[in-house]
Amino acid sequence: MSTLLNAKQLQRSFHSRLVVEPLDLQLSTGDILGLLGPNGAGKSTIMRMLCGDLAPSGGTVEIGGDDLLQQPLPCKRRIGFLPERPPLHHDQTVDEYLTDCAYLRGMDRSACKTARLQSKQQCGLESVGSRLIRKLSKGYQQRVGLAQAIIHDPQVVILDEPTDGLDPAQIRQVRELIRSLAETRGVILSSHILPEIQATCNRVVILQDGRTVYSGDLSTPASPCYRIGLEQDPDEVLIAALSPVTSVEHLHTDYFRVTLKTGANPSELSRLILEKGWGLIELTPETLSLEQRYLQATTGGES
Amino acid sequence: MIRRLAWVEWKRVMRTPLAWVMLAVSLCLLSWQFLGTLEAFVGMQTGDRILGLTHHLGLQLFGLAAVVLFIITPILTMRVFSEAFRSGTYTLLSSSAISVSDILLGKFFGILLLQLPFVLMPAGLSLTLTTGTTLDLGLIAAATLGLILLSVLYTAIGLYLSILSENPAVAAAGAYGLSLLLSLLDQHTASGGFLHWLAWPSHYLNLQMGLVHSGDIAYFLLLMLFFLGLSYQRLDQRRCG
Repeated sequence: MSTLLNAKQLQRSFHSRLVVEPLDLQLSTGDILGLLGPNGAGKSTIMRMLCGDLAPSGGTVEIGGDDLLQQPLPCKRRIGFLPERPPLHHDQTVDEYLTDCAYLRGMDRSACKTARLQSKQQCGLESVGSRLIRKLSKGYQQRVGLAQAIIHDPQVVILDEPTDGLDPAQIRQVRELIRSLAETRGVILSSHILPEIQATCNRVVILQDGRTVYSGDLSTPASPCYRIGLEQDPDEVLIAALSPVTSVEHLHTDYFRVTLKTGANPSELSRLILEKGWGLIELTPETLSLEQRYLQATTGGES
Repeated sequence: MIRRLAWVEWKRVMRTPLAWVMLAVSLCLLSWQFLGTLEAFVGMQTGDRILGLTHHLGLQLFGLAAVVLFIITPILTMRVFSEAFRSGTYTLLSSSAISVSDILLGKFFGILLLQLPFVLMPAGLSLTLTTGTTLDLGLIAAATLGLILLSVLYTAIGLYLSILSENPAVAAAGAYGLSLLLSLLDQHTASGGFLHWLAWPSHYLNLQMGLVHSGDIAYFLLLMLFFLGLSYQRLDQRRCG
């Protein structure tokens, strides 16, 4: 898979206050990368930097091999952006608005019409083409925002809180749309809602106060975590003192969650437990759910 | 891209009743002034006619047209950037493959395109007389050039103020204030001084009277470039923060 977007050491300050600490991001075709974090974590700022709306204070962004700062126009042609607040002209009809969007993205008149019909069809807007945007429901307005982001068939689609304000049925439709977009493109979306990221993305970056506290794949465990059950009930400190262990969490009675050092082998852990005579009942690899990772990451300590 | 953006801007405003109401009101006012000037001229004794009919039209009809431009331009420009910032539609442009200078010039020419009917209206009314009398067409062309240059200046000022504030009313108030200040600077200031030169009425008056001085044209273009430069700098600063 080709790398569509590559951000290195991307950072942003406002009035000498660092709001996004140096961040590395890669996006390939087929990727749906989620930016997850509480409000104010820096998600929107990162997205604005990635789409060229905001200049970074440091670092580089390459889109399709071109540097966004050096060659903004070819880069921006490859990006479709839906900000948190859809950039809609409420006095226009959906057709007028989408035609203008296509026209401003350099298409000729006939291509504008084709692109408009295609994006309307993708976003389920066929029935509201002649209606004024201000008279549409919030869900439909969000879809119009999505349609403008994809009307020029960009390689990278950046969506800031795309399901915000939608009802469950609409959320499901938008998720399906995002998945279908990602078949031939790369998609970055932000949300502060865990299930949203879990349901849509294959990779996640968790942010806290502008700092990346977790970055990894959602489908495979990124943290070497094991759930162990012991016949004896040794003190947590004793378990933590074992050489392959970095941290221990007491779950209940004789059960613990143990995180191993990078590259450490669980067989080493079992050997040491047996040597200590604690009686190993269970040793199960544990995949952290996104919620656990999110809580671990945002309530202290890196996962 | 400038042409596309100007066209989109023009279409967007022309879809609203605002542009049509302003056009209708302006046409009524200018027609009233035109007929009044004509009636006054016809009623004059031949000996009292120091200036010709075209000069009278230049002074009175084009004079009122300058006032109409002064009133309508901030109304047209106030929403261009301030509302785009407030509603988030500016992101549509800033994240598209359009440079900051193209965004600015596209909006600028879009507003000028909207003002074109207002600017050509006095010339159009005056030219209706060509069937019955001989007019000084050069004077009408010079006065129309004056109106074009005035609209260019007002638009540059209006856009700059629109960039400075996210509140359209504040942007309009600022544009009115600054335009008015530029029209009053020649009062109570020494003739030949910089502040006196900075006022537009004397430059416009020359053109109204059919005198095309390159210095007057340069005055309007320099001030336009000054305000467009400030606007560009503010827009770029907004991106860089």
